[in-house]
Amino acid sequence: MRILIADDHDVVRTGLRQLLLERRGWEVCGEAKTGREAVAMALQTKPDVVVMDIGMPELNGLEAARQIRKGLPNTEIVILSLHLSDELVYEIVQTGVRGYVLKSDANRDLVNAVEALGMHRTFFTAKVSEMMLDGFCNRKPRTGQDGVARDRLTSRQREIVQLLAEGKSSKEVAVVLNISVKTAETHRANIMRKLELHSVSELVRYAVKNQIIEV
Amino acid sequence: MKREKLRAIREAVRASRGIPIALFWSSTFAGQLPIEQKGPKAAMTRVLVVDDHTVIRRGIQSILRAWPDWEIAGEAADGEEAIQLTRDVKPDIVLMDISMPRMGGLEATRAIRKVCPEVKILLLTLHDSLEWVEIALQAGARGYLLKSDTEGELVRALNVVAGNGIYVSPSLDADRVKKIIVDIGSTV
Repeated sequence: MRILIADDHDVVRTGLRQLLLERRGWEVCGEAKTGREAVAMALQTKPDVVVMDIGMPELNGLEAARQIRKGLPNTEIVILSLHLSDELVYEIVQTGVRGYVLKSDANRDLVNAVEALGMHRTFFTAKVSEMMLDGFCNRKPRTGQDGVARDRLTSRQREIVQLLAEGKSSKEVAVVLNISVKTAETHRANIMRKLELHSVSELVRYAVKNQIIEV
Repeated sequence: MKREKLRAIREAVRASRGIPIALFWSSTFAGQLPIEQKGPKAAMTRVLVVDDHTVIRRGIQSILRAWPDWEIAGEAADGEEAIQLTRDVKPDIVLMDISMPRMGGLEATRAIRKVCPEVKILLLTLHDSLEWVEIALQAGARGYLLKSDTEGELVRALNVVAGNGIYVSPSLDADRVKKIIVDIGSTV
């Protein structure tokens, strides 16, 4: 089984690698430090499973997962997250991710999760399963203004929200995404209009609230 | 602030070129500058690893195992365990997270400084803010490293702290870090 690890912290990647390499026949085919690197490496190495942190610079784990699932429908993704959140679980499942492990439980759960996903089964940490049973599967579609607004954003727009919220200028966004400055500015204007935001600080608040970036 | 102390800091900083922001400052704590301590260490430096996440403890262990100078003295998952184990195994350095269940790293730092003042504490944390650096150093920590820093930086931080220096992550504003260290130094 070939596994790609994506986490921005060296210490965590090393710990994860150690943990995964204890299993015979498992191989770590790459290590990425940002979501963007993870997408590029995944497309290049076509791993069976990607172990993906949520909070990463430039492109967060959720967006990266979305892009990987789009390009590589056979690659499974297990999300690693520091905190458990109802919203996050909802988003994750929508993205097509079928594994969720808390960092605090990684030592116990990660190997089982990767094993299950390798066979295209699901693995959700015990607390997540409880949450699902608590009825989040049956809940009504979200109505809050932010939820609606977020659903209206395209994947590309969410990517740009993250970069802008991280303090990048339109020009820097253009360089990162390999698009023209004019296009980046148009995206930015569209996003601000859609979300009815008027300043970068409002955009940052939106990004934090919707877990596009972590603080 | 005494003029000679300032000069000593300046010299130590100059001597640490190549280590951009690691600040060697030890005259107050140890009365000895790290530059005088160069050369191979006589024995291995024993490190107690404290973090509530097993994956992180494993990561640290695996990184340190690759170097001949370091030995893992033990592992703890919270501040209370850290204090107990520090008493029992007497490590040279406690490498400790700040946010942990039951008792966090800052409270444990203060307690360890009381019961085992010779043990040096290096904090490894997600909090990248200068306010936390100030609180940590005031609590008696000798080093402040971020979890987003590289593996190489972890080893560098341990080296600085083992050599009686003060280490603060290069990801934080160097000038303001210097000011914090000088301010604390003048009140110690």
